[in-house]
Amino acid sequence: MSNRRSRQPSSSGSSRISDDQIVDLLSKLRRILPKIHDSGRSSKVSKVLQETCNYIRSLHREVDDLSERLFQLLGTIDADSPEATIIRSLILQ
Amino acid sequence: MTFSPSHRVDLKRMASKASLKQKFLKKWMEGLRTYGSSNPFTTVSERKRIIKLSADIAMASIQEGATKWSRALIENASQGMDTFKKSAMSDDRGARLPSAASVAKKIASKKISKSRRRRTRICEPPRPKRLQARSIAKRLVKKRTQVLKNLVPGGESMDDASLIKETLDYIMSLQVQVDVMRSLACMSEHLHRK
Repeated sequence: MSNRRSRQPSSSGSSRISDDQIVDLLSKLRRILPKIHDSGRSSKVSKVLQETCNYIRSLHREVDDLSERLFQLLGTIDADSPEATIIRSLILQ
Repeated sequence: MTFSPSHRVDLKRMASKASLKQKFLKKWMEGLRTYGSSNPFTTVSERKRIIKLSADIAMASIQEGATKWSRALIENASQGMDTFKKSAMSDDRGARLPSAASVAKKIASKKISKSRRRRTRICEPPRPKRLQARSIAKRLVKKRTQVLKNLVPGGESMDDASLIKETLDYIMSLQVQVDVMRSLACMSEHLHRK
């Protein structure tokens, strides 16, 4: 997904997105976010932004929790542990 | 069972997501072996940090520099790793990964200034209610956009259009990362339950 649109000059004044871009990107965002409660028209953008931020925060928290649960893994990476075997087979597929 | 066009797209998406997960797992494990094997970490928080940082570096390196957030994340995470990095980087395994030092140097030229750009508030004359509501909504959007910029790595210096595109990509990568880590955690806990 490395396609780059021609960049709009980022002016120091307004940094508005065109309506077309908003509609397009918002629909993509909504598709990957958990269920959003739609409210009034003018608040759509801010609502999606809020849901996005909340979702990112929750993903960060989850990575954090999982890193804690996984601390045992560090000690077993090199050894002939059952995890190492399973992981090796997953990677080599 | 007929495959509608959207179904076919979903299958494709699933297949590409599976390959992303595999790439992530591979890079993550390589990183853990590189950064983790030569150092006996005693504290739980140290180990947790290593796991998280190498997961972030793995997630970002899959992008191969195509997105801004991934470049910023590699830089940030590498700086965190440098605390733990020993001579482990000089061995062969380390060369396969973007080594923390070399990547940081590469990105140094693209370093993103972390200073926030503050807009000076202009006093506005009182407006009719309809316009008032619209300007409030605009202000809310501006505020929430700023919050998002803080959450996405390197977001501070993005324009609004790029920000949303990068956010989309960042979220999808985060989902891959979480999925793989969750599966691994469940498997690991299941094995250790014996």
